[in-house]
Amino acid sequence: MTPLAIETAGLTRRFGGLVAVRDLHLSVRIGEIFGFLGPNGAGKTTTIRMLCGLLAPSQGRAQVDGVDVGRDPEAVKRRVGYMPQRFSLYGDLTAEENLHFFAGVYRMGSAKRRERVAECLRRVGLWERRATLADHLSGGLKQRLALACAMVHTPAILFLDEPTAGADPPSRQRMWDLLYEAAGEGRTILVTTHYVEEAERCQTVGFMHRGSLIGRGSPEECKAGFAEELLEVDADPIMRAAALLRGAEAVSGVSVYGRLLRVFGRPGAGLVERVPKLLGAAGVAARTVRPVAPSLEDVFMSMTRLAEGGAEER
Amino acid sequence: MLAVASHVALKELRQLLRDRRSLVLILVMPLLLTFLFGKALETGDIRGIPAAVLNEDGSPESNKIVTAMSSFGEIQIQVEPHSREEAYHLLADGRIKAAIIIPKGFMKQIEAGQEVQLQLLLDGTDNNSAPIVEGVAKRVIQRYNAERAIRGLWAQGVRPDRGRRLIQPVYVQTEIRYNPGLQYLGYVMPGVIGLTLQLLTVMLMAISIPRERERGTLDQLLATPITRTELILGKLLPYFGISLLNVGTILFVADRWFNVPVEEGLPLLLLLCALFVLTSLATGLLISAVSHSQFQAVQIAVFYVLPVFMLSGAYAPIEAIPDYIRPISYLFPLMYFSRAVRAVTLRGADFLVVWKDVAVLAGFVLVFLYWAVLAFHKRTA
Repeated sequence: MTPLAIETAGLTRRFGGLVAVRDLHLSVRIGEIFGFLGPNGAGKTTTIRMLCGLLAPSQGRAQVDGVDVGRDPEAVKRRVGYMPQRFSLYGDLTAEENLHFFAGVYRMGSAKRRERVAECLRRVGLWERRATLADHLSGGLKQRLALACAMVHTPAILFLDEPTAGADPPSRQRMWDLLYEAAGEGRTILVTTHYVEEAERCQTVGFMHRGSLIGRGSPEECKAGFAEELLEVDADPIMRAAALLRGAEAVSGVSVYGRLLRVFGRPGAGLVERVPKLLGAAGVAARTVRPVAPSLEDVFMSMTRLAEGGAEER
Repeated sequence: MLAVASHVALKELRQLLRDRRSLVLILVMPLLLTFLFGKALETGDIRGIPAAVLNEDGSPESNKIVTAMSSFGEIQIQVEPHSREEAYHLLADGRIKAAIIIPKGFMKQIEAGQEVQLQLLLDGTDNNSAPIVEGVAKRVIQRYNAERAIRGLWAQGVRPDRGRRLIQPVYVQTEIRYNPGLQYLGYVMPGVIGLTLQLLTVMLMAISIPRERERGTLDQLLATPITRTELILGKLLPYFGISLLNVGTILFVADRWFNVPVEEGLPLLLLLCALFVLTSLATGLLISAVSHSQFQAVQIAVFYVLPVFMLSGAYAPIEAIPDYIRPISYLFPLMYFSRAVRAVTLRGADFLVVWKDVAVLAGFVLVFLYWAVLAFHKRTA
């Protein structure tokens, strides 16, 4: 059996009456990039905060790098790096001062600290800007500085909460290059994102929905395990077609993508035959109707719908 | 432990040095406050109370009393009203705080050997001034009576010096050992020093942790293996250093402008100030550890800082506080500080005299710091 970097069993967190994370069973292998996908409020941040030792679990167990988070959160903190969703470094300190401070707090000796801080600054491309106050850096650079701070003590596991939120595509690309580089050194990375195309870059994806893990696997496995029929429909007028199909039996969901519709149906529902008939009967012209392979986003939409009982999304 | 704490201290110091406005506030405000409070309370010795004299008699004897009254610096005769009604009005309007009325026929009645009444009108709303005017009036009349009696006896052949001994056989000789001028400033200045040292330190420390919480930086900090003690000590150290700077300037101001004799007991004063500053910093940190927002921290700090002046004996002796409230006074470090500093500056006390206050202050520091560490949680339960 491959050794695990993170393993949770029945991990649960309540805030008063609200269950933010429910009975989470999660395993992340050493050295993999695990992507946490899910809408806001699904419990991704709460899970990460528990795994970093910042939040006590209400129930269940979690082992991070072999240490029980519930029992010894401080030992976990020595082994992991955490990059919160919101920029959390000192805006009135320079990039270099921030790194020096955190390296010091992680108890690195002064010679090693100097060396490591310089290395981190160079690696994330901030060496030239090292004397700039963190507040004066652009969004993308702030995110890279935050990553550098999370990695300054060479942790075995990195927890990154939406490390590319709001960043432009080149910045996101740069961030992912850095993540691959870190993973290449044997670090385990648990990253949350809303961007489905970012999830495609992960080795394993976990879908969270309302505090529960509703599916997991490699992006390929997820797509292969897609349990519904999926059609791409080019119809005119498109919104009328969408409304018609949403009301139809056997159709479990319809998403609009530009000038095309993606129509989901229960397996064996025979959508390819039924959809053109249905649209034709209502006088809507269907130019093309063809079955397509699901994207990760389709998988996620479908899983969310199934988890909700299929009612709401129609 | 100290290595990590020093990283936090360095970080705090850098942030402080970049925050020019706060820095100016920290360095200038205590000086300004000491100066203003000192000047405001210097006049705690009341002089020049506005008063009026209504001399209905206008005789040589009544004029003597008016002259005697106006020779006291405590009162200042500003108007001479023409009627009792006018005197009442002046009092009601607040233009005067006292009026002395010498009735018509004053001299005639005295000469006739009758008992005579002078009337003194006082505004009781100012409970400090009223008894002072009353005291002046009593002294004037006592002296006037004595003079008349001596003159009366002389007329009957008793020499004045013998007459004086007959009338006033007993004298009190007062020797004021400390604070010979009985100046209020000497009493209150240690309290003022303590209050100014306390005000900013408590406030600054109180918002320190909630500010990091609000900015989100606490999140990043708590994700590191820093210990609570390291964080608390790291926050304390730079502000302790700056407060010591303030101690120096405040003592200088107190010495130069307010005649507080600082030089003689300087080492002991510095020890007391340093300990007292630490109690304030520790109190602020305790507030900081339990507050979730800066607003909340300031609220709690205000509720601590405001009652201190009234209840700690800094402003008026704690003997003036009712018995059932007095135990609260003993909870404020400022009480021990101002008591000890008064002993040192006014009585020239040495360590052996004030060691108990020193010990209590040191105890406060340890208890509050330990409490702050315990009250701060690294993990949300």
